[in-house]
Amino acid sequence: MNDFPLRLRLRRAALVALLLGLWAPFKVAWEQQISRQQDEIRYHGLVMTRELRDGLGQGLTIGVLSGMRSVVADIIWLNVTTAWENQEWFRMGGLINLCTSLQPRAAVFWDMGGWHLAWNASVAAMHDKDQPNELRRIKASRYWIDQGLDVYKRGIENNPEYWRLWRDTAMLYDQRLKDYPKAAYYYKEASKRPGAPVFLERFPALMYDKYHGNDDQAAYAEWKELWERLTPEEREMKEHWKEKIENNIRELERKLSVPKEKRIFPN
Amino acid sequence: MISSLHRILIIGRNTLTEAVRQKVLSVLLVFALIQISSSIFISQLATPDLDAAGLFAEQIKLVKDAGCGAIGLFGFFIALLSTALLIPQELDKRTIYTILAKPVRRAEFLLGKFLGVVLLLALCVALMSLAFAATLYWQESIGLATVEANYGQVGDWQHNAHAREMHDNDVALIIHQVRDPQLVEAIVLIFAKIIMTAVIALLISTFATSWIFTIITTFLVYLIGHGEGMARTYWLAHGAETTIWQSGLIGLIALLIPDMNSFTIVDEILAGHQVPWHDVLNLLCYANVYVIVLLAVSVVIFDYREL
Repeated sequence: MNDFPLRLRLRRAALVALLLGLWAPFKVAWEQQISRQQDEIRYHGLVMTRELRDGLGQGLTIGVLSGMRSVVADIIWLNVTTAWENQEWFRMGGLINLCTSLQPRAAVFWDMGGWHLAWNASVAAMHDKDQPNELRRIKASRYWIDQGLDVYKRGIENNPEYWRLWRDTAMLYDQRLKDYPKAAYYYKEASKRPGAPVFLERFPALMYDKYHGNDDQAAYAEWKELWERLTPEEREMKEHWKEKIENNIRELERKLSVPKEKRIFPN
Repeated sequence: MISSLHRILIIGRNTLTEAVRQKVLSVLLVFALIQISSSIFISQLATPDLDAAGLFAEQIKLVKDAGCGAIGLFGFFIALLSTALLIPQELDKRTIYTILAKPVRRAEFLLGKFLGVVLLLALCVALMSLAFAATLYWQESIGLATVEANYGQVGDWQHNAHAREMHDNDVALIIHQVRDPQLVEAIVLIFAKIIMTAVIALLISTFATSWIFTIITTFLVYLIGHGEGMARTYWLAHGAETTIWQSGLIGLIALLIPDMNSFTIVDEILAGHQVPWHDVLNLLCYANVYVIVLLAVSVVIFDYREL
């Protein structure tokens, strides 16, 4: 009587083992293939490091482990906004790093995070009433600009196709660091990205204008390239640009004594 | 075959009706709808008094994350509760004996029950998706109205080519992010993940003696599933270097637990990145096959269970 249920149990176990045993190798191979596919398009940005786990706290770690990574990042982002309003810059910096580590492909975190650090924190440091020493204020301001720049650059590494991050980096080099050749490079990269406004195309050359004749060769190359890239129709559509481009090229051709046969505007 | 399908359908329909009548599930659904629609206020909290173009992207991202997060989280709870209670309730009320006394096979009973849960989850996800779409539309209206108001302050912006281009860019950005057809992919993937949770709960409930055990175990399997990728990679690369016990444990996780972390590609979609349909279909096929295998195992276990 007793061995009948045992036989049944054994048969059940054997069947279950057979089903799972047949499926398991396929499962592992399939998951490896999906994982490779996703890695190729850089889906998984998150590696759970000790620092990340410490920064998150227990509750939020469970949130991340249960697949709620984006929601956890958003909750932390709410704290970034609070830290910004309360001008707690170091706390804000740490939280921005946490958000960008959790969702490195959410370009908006890099975009806003860089702006908070390079502009808001650095301007606040520059006008810090508690610091009477101007040199120290400048140093603190520069520290935050570098932090913001680092965020932008890491953001670009993770989201190379997002034009705003290239544009923001260019703006930082242009307006805060006054490094116009680098600004020109980043504007140029921004203008190549999908969705970038057309007017950005003119900015690399404009940066060399701002460079006040320090690199006329590079400025000429930029204006010339822009002129040649635009079709005659495009040049006409933007008539207020055409005149400026033309004037700049003429002036640089004169200044650099470009031979007439190589000039765009020989007359 | 057709009569068998008919029986499965009838059991499925009854299961759906019973589940809809359960107050716990209705309350969960109401909470989900509230959370989805309140995501707009959360997004406003994250960007107080700031309406520059860049921030619309952030606001929309927050609404999308909160909406899809709520669908995933509440879907998970509904799947867990409704599936874990399926068999224990039937045993408690002794209705299972009445049903199985009729010409209904145990496999048909189990498949019918699971079908009912799938229908319930489809209904819940559809309702939550509708609320999500309405919330996104609301966010879009706020965004577009703010853009118009911002440019209205500039005055003669229509005659400035740069300003016009910036305006059109802002409007396009908002519309592109809100009406992103990829959100359909995201919701389908969330649904697939919820169904996987349900089938795990069903499998456990076929041999569990209490529904609390089923809920806790399913929850743990779900959590471990998010680390299965790490375990699998480690096992394949370093399995031979570890002790037999370590290797056995990691191997067991890799061989049996589903890779729930693959479904985090939903985050990529919500962040606005392109995820090709063939990748999504591959993942859906994986989920489908997994569900079929676990259903088969559940049927085998339930078939031999002493009731």
